[in-house]
Amino acid sequence: MKTRTTFKLNLGPQHPSTHGVLRLLLELDGEKIISCEPDVGYLHRGMEKMAENMTYIQYLPTVDRIDYLAGFFYSYLLVDLVEKAMDVKLSEKVKIIRVMLLELNRIASHLLWVGAFLMDLGAVSPFFYAMREREMILRYFERLTGQRMMYNYFVFGGVRHDIDFLEDIEEIIKILPSKIDDYERIITENPIFVSRTKRKGIITPDMAKNYSITGVNLRASGIDYDLRQNSELYQGFEFETVILNDCDAWSRYKARILEMRESIKIVEQALDKIKSFDALRQILINPLTLKLPQREYYNEIEAPRGLASCYIMSDGSEIPYRLKWRTGSYYSVNLLRELLVGNYINDAIAIAGSLDIILPEVDK
Amino acid sequence: MKALMLGLLTVFKHLFMHPVTLEYPEKKRELNNNFRGKLEVSGCVGCGVCKKVCPSGAINYTKNESGKVVSYNFNLEKCIFCGNCMYYCPKSAIKMTNEYELGTENKDELQLIYTGGADD
Repeated sequence: MKTRTTFKLNLGPQHPSTHGVLRLLLELDGEKIISCEPDVGYLHRGMEKMAENMTYIQYLPTVDRIDYLAGFFYSYLLVDLVEKAMDVKLSEKVKIIRVMLLELNRIASHLLWVGAFLMDLGAVSPFFYAMREREMILRYFERLTGQRMMYNYFVFGGVRHDIDFLEDIEEIIKILPSKIDDYERIITENPIFVSRTKRKGIITPDMAKNYSITGVNLRASGIDYDLRQNSELYQGFEFETVILNDCDAWSRYKARILEMRESIKIVEQALDKIKSFDALRQILINPLTLKLPQREYYNEIEAPRGLASCYIMSDGSEIPYRLKWRTGSYYSVNLLRELLVGNYINDAIAIAGSLDIILPEVDK
Repeated sequence: MKALMLGLLTVFKHLFMHPVTLEYPEKKRELNNNFRGKLEVSGCVGCGVCKKVCPSGAINYTKNESGKVVSYNFNLEKCIFCGNCMYYCPKSAIKMTNEYELGTENKDELQLIYTGGADD
């Protein structure tokens, strides 16, 4: 009598769909996935241990590298945490500048995801279109901060220098909605795309909660959880939380598209507010005396890939005693363990791609 | 079928748009003064703030007996171009230029050594 055997397949660690290096150890029965074991750590750079040997000011530029597609978010987390700990009062203009840059960064990050996700599914053109629009945002960031991805623009007590080149942002928010319409025309109703994503990779609300999924992936599963709505930073901005109830890969795509449109609204409002302010006045914190009082600190923000948070235990010196990052992608990777089981291998990439996993963020 | 045609039409429209890429290295982008490229030093007083804020340990300097900086060294092999030194320098002595093509066959070229201090 013949016995049915399974075989094991390594998906990765080098695969274009993971934007980094992720190894999925799949056990297959024919083409069906029986079990999945994600193996992370190929991009581990010791970001947390590194902090224990650096002052806060030395550590700040390296924080952009945790998630290179959304550097502003992590830099904001650390800067905001230290400012709150030191009880620094920020001017209103600094806060608005930060909101605007965070949201532009969110759009850039989602744009890259849209392109890369479609690339995973075999569509090449949307990748170039998305990169073209992302380039507009990155060029603006480069003009303002000096670099395309490693901004280091937020500093303790404010921003590096006053905001400039606002005409670039005006152009971006003028052009972007029509470009997103273009993507929707190409992608959203496309029968090939729909058949590969509808009812694929369903994350039920319970499953999402059990695996601590946050961000767009959670909101596409019908749960209303957006830190921006109650945050102090976003006070005075009008935008809606995008919630979709289909729980599948298609709704995660749609949610990101809709979220980009909401982000454009926030950028528009921020731009109007910035124009009404005078020149920037801010406090420069002496880099030689920056110390946090002995205590534990925690700060969180809604990053493009879910809730991102920073925990610092300070012993009163100029160096953190312990620093911990929570990143959204780490939990999404863990979810693959359950999400891929029962699916066919050709859907594995589509499902994994729909979660927007960024490996440097997972491995830290 | 309608959605497919609409998608194809949108893609077709892009055939008539201007190219967005630049033929580097024949053509190069214009960079503004905010760009963080190769470093330059002039008028350093040797306070040492830059060395303390540098995340990668790329900055070194030597002082003589009277406390004057005699030699100032940027190691571009280690530098991550974060701009901390430029931002926190109390004398604005450090500048970052628009030079970004730093590839070289000779590693010594990546050691930027400046001599002389504020008195020069």
